[in-house]
Amino acid sequence: MAQVPLAIVSHKRQVCSLYKRAVRNLEAWYDRRNVFRYRAVQMRARFDENRNKGLAEGMRLLACGQQELFETKHYQPRNFANSAGGCAFEREVIPPDWLLDYWHPLEKAQYPEYFAKREQRKKEYVVWWEKQYGKPDPKDLGHH
Amino acid sequence: MSFTQVARSCGRFAAALTTVRIASVAVQTQSRMLHRIAVPAIGAQLTQFFTVRNYSVRNTMEEIEHRVLKVVSAYDKVTADKESRCRWQTQSVRSYSAKPPLSLKLINERVLLVLKLYDKIDPSKLNVNSHFINDLGLDSLDHVEVIMAMEDEFGFEIPDSDAEKLLKPADIIKYVADKEDVYE
Repeated sequence: MAQVPLAIVSHKRQVCSLYKRAVRNLEAWYDRRNVFRYRAVQMRARFDENRNKGLAEGMRLLACGQQELFETKHYQPRNFANSAGGCAFEREVIPPDWLLDYWHPLEKAQYPEYFAKREQRKKEYVVWWEKQYGKPDPKDLGHH
Repeated sequence: MSFTQVARSCGRFAAALTTVRIASVAVQTQSRMLHRIAVPAIGAQLTQFFTVRNYSVRNTMEEIEHRVLKVVSAYDKVTADKESRCRWQTQSVRSYSAKPPLSLKLINERVLLVLKLYDKIDPSKLNVNSHFINDLGLDSLDHVEVIMAMEDEFGFEIPDSDAEKLLKPADIIKYVADKEDVYE
């Protein structure tokens, strides 16, 4: 959900995003690190020379830059394995702990010792929480 | 090696084999009777006798030790050169798909090391709580580069909406620790 744009993004943030995507695109094109660094420094210089332009000129340049990035985009960009777009993204699904509370009572009855201990732990956790953060406000208790 | 040499060495090898076989048979027959007589001194004499009769060249203990140590030291030299690059060669246990263990201290060290190696940051000014833009004098594109370096260091993508909130090394450490589920 972090990637969903929920607000209008400012011009500065758009330029930063364009710079990051442009450098990552260069990284995909040039696998030799020294060659990539040379191109990245050149890209940085191109961004720096337009630093003090006005907003109207800046918006035009931003549109040009986005167009150029679209045209020179790598056909197989490099992604981090465990991040969105990577080969191992969401490969390992770890079920959350609260899932155990939604087992059927007959299923829970197959592991009586564990679930007795679990109920005990939940009570201890409530005691710990109230000691740490105080009693919850009764207004906050029900969420319906 | 000529054909005659090959034939001669084969013949020597066969002769050595037969002597060994004869020797073992002799030991068996002798020891079958010996267990009734039960004189240990004769057994010692017998082994001495058969070591003398051995035709093949027998390495002494020192020679074997010397050869083994030579091989081991040569291997040591190889690994000592490569140790900085590939530590997995000297690791006794390989963790096949598991990540290297992370702790808050380790994340802290790695973040600060990456920042110290960044040429626009003065290492003497760098602190866990120093602000990138206000204290260290970076601009927003430098901040993007710092975030990209952190992505490369820890191997996961930091989306832009999160990256703009990571303005101090302490924020990055906390973010990485939350992401990797490290809490101590």
